Amino acid sequence: MTETIAARRTTAPESGLGPLTPLAWRETRRYVRNPVFLAGVVFTAFAVKSWHAGAVQEIGTLSAYPAIFLGGFGMIAACWLTQSTRRSAEALDVTPTTPQARTAALCAVAIVPFLLGCLSLLLFVRIQPLDGVWRYGAFSPSDRMAVLLSQLVVPTLGGPLLGIALARWVRFPGTAIVAFLFLYGWVSLITILAWNHANSVPFVMLRFFAPFTFFTLTDGPYNVDTWRGSPWFFVGWQLGLCAVAVTVALLRGADGRRQRRLIRALVAVAAVTALMYALTVTGGWDHPVVSHLGQAPVPIGHSPHPTNR
Amino acid sequence: MAAVLLRAVPWPAVSGITAVAVVTGAGGFAWPGGAQILLPIAFALLAGAAAFVLDEPASAVVDVTPTGRVRRTAVRALALLVPLGAGTALVLAGALRAAELPWPTVGLALAGSVLLGFAIACVLRQHVGEPGTQASAAAAFVLIAPGFLPFVAGWVQTFPAAGPAPRGLSSTTFWWLAGTACLAAIAASVPEFRRRRSP
Repeated sequence: MTETIAARRTTAPESGLGPLTPLAWRETRRYVRNPVFLAGVVFTAFAVKSWHAGAVQEIGTLSAYPAIFLGGFGMIAACWLTQSTRRSAEALDVTPTTPQARTAALCAVAIVPFLLGCLSLLLFVRIQPLDGVWRYGAFSPSDRMAVLLSQLVVPTLGGPLLGIALARWVRFPGTAIVAFLFLYGWVSLITILAWNHANSVPFVMLRFFAPFTFFTLTDGPYNVDTWRGSPWFFVGWQLGLCAVAVTVALLRGADGRRQRRLIRALVAVAAVTALMYALTVTGGWDHPVVSHLGQAPVPIGHSPHPTNR
Repeated sequence: MAAVLLRAVPWPAVSGITAVAVVTGAGGFAWPGGAQILLPIAFALLAGAAAFVLDEPASAVVDVTPTGRVRRTAVRALALLVPLGAGTALVLAGALRAAELPWPTVGLALAGSVLLGFAIACVLRQHVGEPGTQASAAAAFVLIAPGFLPFVAGWVQTFPAAGPAPRGLSSTTFWWLAGTACLAAIAASVPEFRRRRSP
């Protein structure tokens, strides 16, 4: 029997990700039953329900909820799910599935929060009353959609993928909660710094060195600040980070030819992600502007209307 | 005996998360306004560190030894001095730098946060041998929920605000109530206490 298992173990890698579908289905069922993920879904639903309440003053405060609850909580749930497979590693190691197939199956669970993020975007666009598109800041319709994608949808995909990559490599027991609190603190801090130093290139770079960022801020009555940076390239940076997370997770346990291929893929993905980051920082407005209802945007500091600065 | 029991504490988890909390909290003093954002997160991390104090991978064996739960819990509670000490250092550093926060109330929030993490771990320890992961997540969520749930922020404050008194339950009132509830939960989670109370 041992010989049979060993023979299947050695031949299985050549067949690629054969048993991926049933594995992915099984992991997805485990993931959607995780209490942390369910709590995230409930909180997101509660947030979406509150979107009816009235005309929105600050888009960023609404769009952050799916990122926190589906992305952040989803990251914790995915990390725990991946760590739970480690306890049965000895049994799993003799099954005819490769570690890469198991990791790919785990990564497939991110589709669930991603679809819920897409649903949040759809509901936001359909039901949230706005007193004018100027609330989105001085962005074109295409850029507005990129802002919403980067805030409502992509973090719901990236959060769980980050959780899986972390759990694959870090054995520290509090990894998930430390990562969640670190990212939450980092995004909060750089938002404050960006508000204080809106025109400084180093602070613009800091603001985009995160998996989530704000592009606008309501600054006084009927004023919306639009900060520097390109929303579409930021979406590219976020998707690049997702690809990096998947590749890093797959690298765990890889050896031989597969390891070399994954390392080459990681280098290529990291290079594209870095390029996206550079384009994000250099793209968009070359200085922050403030929009006012019915008026053309003007550079911050030149607004005739009172601001909070 | 105490030294043996303390040796079983998962020190890498407790000290590692405490170290991250110290770095996070210290980062709050580097920029104006940063303390109000990063100190609550540092306290949530310290609560998370406190939640790992009771983790026992060999719980199936340890739980049936003659050493009672009261003694084990009491000795392991000594490990709370690590997050509590690190948090105190942060609070003192903040007070010396004259950041605009009500520091005595911040100190109360620190003690409450650590106690909260420990109390949740005590309650979960009745059912699982390693409650740290779940308890730290629960404690962190309670502590930072007002930061991203506006309706909670209007109802209760878990961290004292620098400006005028906010709406809802103040941080001081919350922590006195939560601290009392935590002590009751810790007492109720120890079987020996329950047996003494029952006739």
